[in-house]
Amino acid sequence: MSLSISLAINGRQHDVALNDPRVTLLDLLRERLDLPGTKKGCDRGQCGACTVLVDGRRINSCLALAASMDGAEITTIEGLAEGDELHPVQAAFIEHDAFQCGYCTPGQIMSAVGLIKEGMAGDDPERVRELMSGNICRCGAYQGITEAVLEAGRKAAENAQPQTGNPDTGKDAA
Amino acid sequence: MTAIPKFGVGASALRKEDKRFIQGHGTYTADKNLDGQLYGYVVRSPYPAASFTFEDLDMAREADGVVAILTAEDVADLGAVPVFTGIKQPDGTRPTLRPAPVLCDGEVKYVGDAVAYVVAETLAQAQDAAEMIMIDWQEKDANAITARALDEDAPLVWDDAADNRAYLYQMGDREATAAAFDKADKVVSISFLNTRLASNYIEPRACLAEWNEAEGSFTLHTGSQGVHQMRDALAKKIFRMDGDKIRVVTSDVGGGFGTKMFMFREYPLTMVAAKKLGRPVKWVSDRTEHFMADSHGRDNVVEAAMALDKDGRFLAFKARLTAAMGAYMGQYGPNIPTGGITMSTGVYDIPSMDVTVDAVFTNTMSVDAYRGAGRPEAAYLIERLVDECAHETGIDRAEIRRRNFIRPEQFPYHTPGGRMYDVGEFDGHMTRALEKTDYAGFAARRAESEKNGKLRGYGFATYIEACAFAGSEEARLELTEDGEIILDIGTQTNGQGHETAYAQFIYDRIGIDFDKIIVRQGDTIHLPNGGGTGGSRSIPLGGVSVDAASEKLAEKMKKIAADELEAAPADIELVDGVARIVGTDRSMDYSALARAARDEADRKADADIAQDENTYPNGTHVCEIEIDRETGLIEVVNYSVVDDFGMTVNPTLLLGQVHGGIVQGMAQALAEEVVYEPEGQLTTASFMDYAMPRADGVPFFEFETRNVPSTTNKLGMKGAGEAGTIGACPAVMNAVVDALGHAKGIRHVEMPVTPLKVWQLLNG
Repeated sequence: MSLSISLAINGRQHDVALNDPRVTLLDLLRERLDLPGTKKGCDRGQCGACTVLVDGRRINSCLALAASMDGAEITTIEGLAEGDELHPVQAAFIEHDAFQCGYCTPGQIMSAVGLIKEGMAGDDPERVRELMSGNICRCGAYQGITEAVLEAGRKAAENAQPQTGNPDTGKDAA
Repeated sequence: MTAIPKFGVGASALRKEDKRFIQGHGTYTADKNLDGQLYGYVVRSPYPAASFTFEDLDMAREADGVVAILTAEDVADLGAVPVFTGIKQPDGTRPTLRPAPVLCDGEVKYVGDAVAYVVAETLAQAQDAAEMIMIDWQEKDANAITARALDEDAPLVWDDAADNRAYLYQMGDREATAAAFDKADKVVSISFLNTRLASNYIEPRACLAEWNEAEGSFTLHTGSQGVHQMRDALAKKIFRMDGDKIRVVTSDVGGGFGTKMFMFREYPLTMVAAKKLGRPVKWVSDRTEHFMADSHGRDNVVEAAMALDKDGRFLAFKARLTAAMGAYMGQYGPNIPTGGITMSTGVYDIPSMDVTVDAVFTNTMSVDAYRGAGRPEAAYLIERLVDECAHETGIDRAEIRRRNFIRPEQFPYHTPGGRMYDVGEFDGHMTRALEKTDYAGFAARRAESEKNGKLRGYGFATYIEACAFAGSEEARLELTEDGEIILDIGTQTNGQGHETAYAQFIYDRIGIDFDKIIVRQGDTIHLPNGGGTGGSRSIPLGGVSVDAASEKLAEKMKKIAADELEAAPADIELVDGVARIVGTDRSMDYSALARAARDEADRKADADIAQDENTYPNGTHVCEIEIDRETGLIEVVNYSVVDDFGMTVNPTLLLGQVHGGIVQGMAQALAEEVVYEPEGQLTTASFMDYAMPRADGVPFFEFETRNVPSTTNKLGMKGAGEAGTIGACPAVMNAVVDALGHAKGIRHVEMPVTPLKVWQLLNG
């Protein structure tokens, strides 16, 4: 028995027939759609290496069943840069040496992109640390990661158009 | 001072590897796939000690997608997982080596021991089939507690290893030490555990094996810390075949920390399966397997004492370590405690020492090299002991260190552990670190914290470590006809940034566009031999050879250009990708230069510079903490390091090494621990029960260097890969004991100092 789903990944539409309902979004990306940039570190939602954006929100793709992703819009690390132009979070990660081995990095970056979009950390390193703590970096590059997220967050705030809605709640501002 | 060129040695050149990593284009072993590949899955023991027989394999063999199930008889012709050690016991005998078999034959010795290997078309099919294998287990008594291993009634891990002793080892001068203790004015003792840790690189181990029937050769893709060691272990010890018939390929590695150096049993298992089945086979560890089946670090029980005279001068040092080996000896496992103790007198001038190591078997995974490998244990030992000496004598912690430091005029200094320190200014970096962190003003800060209901502690450690073990690392350079320079070297980056650091040495000698330097590591086909990465050796040994090879290649290039441009070699400069007659506009680019070479050898150079002693980086770590009385939570409020790395190749890369090292050392002190139940069940097998350092517990660090060049190598480098871990653990623990001691008179607490433990101490 197979289950058909249709989802957009990095702006490209994919129609997928799943022959096994147990396939996670992570395995779908890595093993079936040739997008190995998203990493598997624990397969239990405990390390964050598999973080991707689903409809703009960061999730652990190892905990999401592919079958539940019908109609979703997914962004992975491979879809972040615009051609040769790096996403500001990617650029900030390089600038602040926010990684060493690079294995947790796709998850860190996707998590940071999600966090900045959530708008909950502002310019507060404590909040950034807390809200990035779902992503483990064994190389211990947390100082660089925190600095990179702060800088990318500041730049995003500077570039943002005046807000008409509240990104936290999705409700319109009064 | 002249400015450092942007990509030269000493510059914070941005990493060459960064762009692929931040776009998800890194290629780690599990990212590779081959046409027609099968998937392997290891069936592991759920028991810490048992004998077993297979009741039924047929059901699993007939399951969907299953192509083979390997058991011990299928690998009976293979050698065991190698153990390399040269340890000699006090009676002159060598210890019996007790290696792990590739697959267990009727008996298992720890949770996770391998009993069968299932190969199927998909991983899910292999896992499903593994559950269908019926095994009759006969459980035996087991012991996982290091301190209990030598007890008379402890269950034996090996029936023929009396007392569970793997070996006995002694170092130092027993008589002189005993005499010093007899005449001492004071003896200060401590005892503690050095906890067991898991490496926990975020990239789990993986391999992908191919067999080429026509050539009778294997290709193994796996994350390693050096392909040559891996190849040699497989060829010489496992398959007993010609090394040329095994190609090992390592691409990007998601962290190694020592553990990925080793030839674990899953690699030959996967290779055998690939050969038997004529198809590539892939094996990828999951996180729980990592906790069970990748070697662990540390795990010592320590008793130590210092003899002091009336002025607080150290007269002699003695220690007894009970060091866990695991159930089987790890590849370098036996050498970790014996190597570590050579550093146990630290930065102090101590006339004699007497150290005994009781290496013991327990029903646990092997203990082996993990970031620092014995040296963090040594630093933790001596730096905790010195703090206790200060407390017991009433001499200030900095002052007692000053009285006992090896003084600059004593170098080169032979330690009682048999080491020869070349240089060092220990008082210099300690003084600077204490000034920087306002040691003098600490009492006021503590009073302020106490006003807010918090405890405050200030701790520091002056560490030294031995890096870059004697030897060499060959570097081969080639200028290609495309005008690129290829470096082949047998070290292996695991994230340290070797591509960048080595390129900086080349750039300095041969002013070439940074992007045109190609650093090749990780393929036995490109280079016949190499020493791998470990013990912070890649830059001190590899860097020196890369520099020397670059110098030679530059000379050859100048000669070719001189001929072509009709000038003297001395008048040629190599800058901006061209060879030019100095002061003129007459030049040729490197591509033309390579094509002008009469002989291929004229555009190649190699160097293999040997170093006959270790290098000795050292420094002072200062840690200041606050403890919340209500929750027991420890917050690191200030962390500062002054390090002597001899010479800095790339400040950015260096900072990354130091930060990461501190985080790992700090995490041993405050969070991490592998826990086995006393009877051997592993209870920390995921990130939910093994506490990893996360962003929310890690502060910003202050770091500076105060370099004193090493005299052991030409460039003065000392190595920096492990230093952070070595200094951090004692600095954090000294701060914790300072806080708890001041508040409650507590003089010792075991790692990891979790909030629960602190709360119990404060409220118990």
